[in-house]
Amino acid sequence: MPDFNVRSDAVNVEQIMEQIRSRIREKRGADYTEAQIQELASVKLEKFLDPRGVRSDLLEQFRRTQPPYAPPELPNFAFEAQTLFESTRGPLRFMRKLLLPILKLFFNPNPLIQALNIQSTLNASAAEREAKRDAARYAFDQLHYEVMHNLVLETTRLGIDVKNVKMRLESLASRLEFNERRARALESVVAYKPADEGKPEGRREETRREDTRREDNRRDEPRRDDSRRQERQERRAAEQQSRPAPPAAAPSITPAPAVPVVAEVPDVTAANAEDGAPAQADAPTDGPGQRSRRRRRRRGRRGSGSAAALMAGGQPSDATDDEGGAEGEINESTPDQLADAASGDGRAARPEPLEHIVGAQAHPAKAAASDPAAAPVGPPAPVAAPSESSEPEQPQADPAATPEP
Amino acid sequence: MKVAVVVQRYGQAINGGAELHARYIAEHLARHAQVEVWTTCATDYVTWRNALKSGEERVNNVPVRRFPVKHERDPLTFGRLSEKVFHRTHSVADELDWLEAEGPTSPGLVSHITKHAGEFDFCIFFSYRYYHAFHGARAAGTKAILVPTAERDPAAGLSIFAPIFRGVRALMYNSPEERAMIQGIAGNAHVPSVVVGVGSEIPANPQPQRFRQKYNIRGPFAVYVGRIDENKGCRELFSHFNAYLRDRVGKLTLVLIGNSILDIPAHPRIRHLGFLDDADKFDAIAASELLIMPSFFESLSMVALEAWALGKPVLANAQCDVLKGQCIRSNAGLYYESASEFAETLRAIEFNKWIAGTLGKNGRQYYRDNYDWPVIERKYLDMLQRLSSGTAPDGFEPLPGWMDRRKATCPPAAEVVAAAPGGPSSAPEMTVPRPMGPMSPPLPTRPPAATERSRPVAPPRSTQPSSGRRPQGRNRRSSQGAGAGR
Repeated sequence: MPDFNVRSDAVNVEQIMEQIRSRIREKRGADYTEAQIQELASVKLEKFLDPRGVRSDLLEQFRRTQPPYAPPELPNFAFEAQTLFESTRGPLRFMRKLLLPILKLFFNPNPLIQALNIQSTLNASAAEREAKRDAARYAFDQLHYEVMHNLVLETTRLGIDVKNVKMRLESLASRLEFNERRARALESVVAYKPADEGKPEGRREETRREDTRREDNRRDEPRRDDSRRQERQERRAAEQQSRPAPPAAAPSITPAPAVPVVAEVPDVTAANAEDGAPAQADAPTDGPGQRSRRRRRRRGRRGSGSAAALMAGGQPSDATDDEGGAEGEINESTPDQLADAASGDGRAARPEPLEHIVGAQAHPAKAAASDPAAAPVGPPAPVAAPSESSEPEQPQADPAATPEP
Repeated sequence: MKVAVVVQRYGQAINGGAELHARYIAEHLARHAQVEVWTTCATDYVTWRNALKSGEERVNNVPVRRFPVKHERDPLTFGRLSEKVFHRTHSVADELDWLEAEGPTSPGLVSHITKHAGEFDFCIFFSYRYYHAFHGARAAGTKAILVPTAERDPAAGLSIFAPIFRGVRALMYNSPEERAMIQGIAGNAHVPSVVVGVGSEIPANPQPQRFRQKYNIRGPFAVYVGRIDENKGCRELFSHFNAYLRDRVGKLTLVLIGNSILDIPAHPRIRHLGFLDDADKFDAIAASELLIMPSFFESLSMVALEAWALGKPVLANAQCDVLKGQCIRSNAGLYYESASEFAETLRAIEFNKWIAGTLGKNGRQYYRDNYDWPVIERKYLDMLQRLSSGTAPDGFEPLPGWMDRRKATCPPAAEVVAAAPGGPSSAPEMTVPRPMGPMSPPLPTRPPAATERSRPVAPPRSTQPSSGRRPQGRNRRSSQGAGAGR
């Protein structure tokens, strides 16, 4: 239960109640009274959920209340020639018939009889016409009512449709708002983590593998130093034998994607070489990351590895470099590293060989690096990273790239 | 000074609100005046069956005179008439029939009042809605003082009571809400009145641990004291408390004290202890975390006052204007309108000890300022003194004639009450300074009856005139506590 904001000896009950109500409103979303909630709960919604299910019995009700049409019986009279002298009593009828000629002596009743007869006929026809008109009007009324009923029905359906759509819209809006809030909450929850933790799983795996590899290297270092020393002696001998050979073999050690880049670099370096100026002077400056990497590498070489190597055989520092040696690096590249290099991962695919190769080519005296004799040293795949090859190296500054005397 | 207290039931075993109120007032006024109680022989407020002997007896040294009830209440007739007068247009005769059916019909009591009211200075009538108050007040004439104990129920809207509210000498209200309602219905703002209420006999040292041991109650609990009845809001209380229990956050148990006429939910955290004596009741309140008052209609909740006197917060039903108003004015209780509010307020008191403590402290102060016996006695004595020195008004309006009584012109009483002003009053109650030393001296002896009327009018003690009718509806609320404000 969260504490209240009202913190004093003199509490205000209304203020507390206001806070309680606002909390309830926050929980519930709307401030309904209990009666309203009960009312809402008691509403039967199923009738209105499907607008197509809306049926109205207005028409039936109307038809039920309306009696079937019966034409009105208007008063009329039948007037024939004998109508004036008819009687239910026979003697009276006889007397009238007998005295009719006398009556006709006084006036002629025929026009009167004729007129009344016509009037009677007119009355009948007028009544018939009126009845027909009434029937038509009645039918029209029913039609109008039906149309009105259909309109009401459709309007109701439309209204329900609109309400349904509105509700759906509100639901979507609330869902969206919820998702936004959730996203914001998650963003606020995310704490700073070290870069390693933030790396993807593959990268971490790779780092682990790298560490293992370094550990193994450190363990195998004495053995490897011996073997490297041996290899290097053999290679030097081979170099001395094949020095006059042309440097055309360089592309052969670079894989296909790296060919244009590697091909570019020699042009620049070659130009520099022709000018007699060191390649370092004209080469574009490296980024800070590369410099620091190189600096680290140098420190490593100045460290135990190089000392051990010197102590062992008086070789130059790069010969004992445990991580920067071109040969060793290429030889020890694992398939994973190669895959990473091929996939363009900058850091993984930035092994030392590239620097070696580029440095060797950039340096006028480094033609030996492209010696075909060096081709079997190791798989050149990591060298092929275009990102690496696009950055010309500074061979003078990198002792690892300097050719051995 | 001689004062008669007239009430429908009276006795030590009778614990109804108005009856207990009357007994407390009679016993406390007996220290300052000569008090006699006139009542009926009934003890059951539903049947009004004659259960006690008629005649005189003494209860706590107060003389009590009982009169038999003529007939018991017929529930069917009473229900039918209630339906008619509360919800349909009816006549004055219907209302009088309703009053007769409600009881306690005691013509002997009324005739005694008629004969002997002149011997007393004032007759204080309790509970306006009963036969004894209506006919007795008319019989007592200008000596009648009314303690209405009116709740916001439809009976207050019956047209026969408005002349009573206008004709009595003074009205002793229990709360500002009650006064606002009656003044809204009857237009009796000119009648001297004061919001008094009633105190209680609070023990000096309640024993909460003794109660816990006696009834094997552990852990925090909320207590309800009163009749366990749907009309008292107990069904809603059970429903709300069940909702509170479903949340599984709170740890409170509900302890119910009182006779039950309602099924109580079977739950290990709802305990019904039945009717307890006063000592256990006070111990229970002292041991509790809070008192819950779920009642919809109350004129004045004595048990809420007792909880406040013991420094316990109260959780009241906000539908009862009186309780809500008291909570707001005292800052000593919370209130709820719905189940969610009930649960939240209960948790607020349960989990925020400083709120509970401060509310309790405020409650204790509120009780001390407004409902402690010295304050109550002072208000009564001041009012009696003021009335003694003032002139009596004209008396009651006569009842309509035989023909007019039968004209169905009275609106439904429920509609009348609904139209009356409602809601809690947030204005602070007028309090009299609490007497520091001994209580005020006894009232002066009653002057001879013959000279009472001819006595010259004393200058009014307050700025407000104590007598004389004002136009109805004008400045109704301004006269509140005119006798009390000093």
